[in-house]
Amino acid sequence: MNRVKALLVALAVIAPTIAGAHQLNVFASVDCQAVLVEAKFSNGKHPVTGEVRVLDGESNLLTTLELDADGTSRVPLDSVDHSSGLVIEVDVGSHDDYWIVTPEDIARKCGS
Amino acid sequence: MRAFFRLTSVLAAFVLTTNVVLAQDKPQVIAVNYPLQYFAERLLGDAAEVVYPVPEGVDPSFWRPSIADISAIQSADLILLNGAGFATWTSRVSLPRSKLIDTSRGLADQFITTESITHSHGEGGEHSHEGTASYTWLDLSMATAQAQAIADAIKARELADATDVDQRMAELAKELQALDVAAGEALRDAGDIVFIATHPRYQYFARAYGLTIISLEWEAGAMPGDDELAELEALAEENGARVLIWEAEPPASARDVVASLGLKDVVFPPLNATSAASQSFAASFSEAVRQLHTAAADASPG
Repeated sequence: MNRVKALLVALAVIAPTIAGAHQLNVFASVDCQAVLVEAKFSNGKHPVTGEVRVLDGESNLLTTLELDADGTSRVPLDSVDHSSGLVIEVDVGSHDDYWIVTPEDIARKCGS
Repeated sequence: MRAFFRLTSVLAAFVLTTNVVLAQDKPQVIAVNYPLQYFAERLLGDAAEVVYPVPEGVDPSFWRPSIADISAIQSADLILLNGAGFATWTSRVSLPRSKLIDTSRGLADQFITTESITHSHGEGGEHSHEGTASYTWLDLSMATAQAQAIADAIKARELADATDVDQRMAELAKELQALDVAAGEALRDAGDIVFIATHPRYQYFARAYGLTIISLEWEAGAMPGDDELAELEALAEENGARVLIWEAEPPASARDVVASLGLKDVVFPPLNATSAASQSFAASFSEAVRQLHTAAADASPG
């Protein structure tokens, strides 16, 4: 019973923080080895958990990763078929957002 | 005779090839909404191909492009953004800075901050998002400034003859100014009427002509549900509203229900998408103003 009370108190404390949260913004950059994903709320805070979905140009799911505690994730390029580009979707439960990486974005960073 | 056919075929192939090459050689300009497409086409004439990439029936504010769409956009010669938070996809992709023009960049001090909308989804609880009203072009002085930004970008990149662009810009500015004056006169006596819009699209229009427009959050073109109609009735009573502005043509039965509530109604497409404009930008705007003027006059207590 005490545990339930403690949980309710914790939720009451967390709830205003969540309520104050704004839109989620996802940014992804390519360094030829990997796609570096960064998720941030518009109030500057970053989510501590979340799911990163990586899709190809045909919207096929290639892989799913967990967001790191600092709101970032790394998708090694050799782990996915990136020939048709990649769509990076981040879902933190309350909000989601995406970033589109084209084949040209990857080629540009790889010097070709 | 055979030689004649062979020569004709060769000539036809040459003409076709030349046309294709010419078409491909034209610079390509991307416009994220219909007003920017209209302005760019007026300013460029035949000098470039202006592309509005959003499929018909899709709201350009919330379009989610495919990777192929973005690849094509990245290769364009000029990408015209509306700014003011319009077209959320533009902040979710890498676009070449050298080709980007934010047409409302110089108008930031005129932006309208939208009221917070409290809502909830997922497990995040109730929360709010504050934003910027995006439909800047419905204030024709802002639209003119956006068109001028396009003209400057076209000239800077030498996409068309500068003298031609200046001349077309002067004509366009004159046309928009005439529209603005006509709208101001038509709506001069509408300041005492309270309007309700089915969606928050008309903030800049309301400010430009001193109108009071309260907004609902209805789906464009859909039949409102009982709850939504009850909300409209309450809002109209609370604010003494007399005219409803539909963002898109609703089912005929919806207009009947609104009439039964004692409200006049008009359809005013906000011109964001090509498909939302049944005529040109200027003609559509003019027609919407004419309808608003009539509805306001009919609803006027005097």
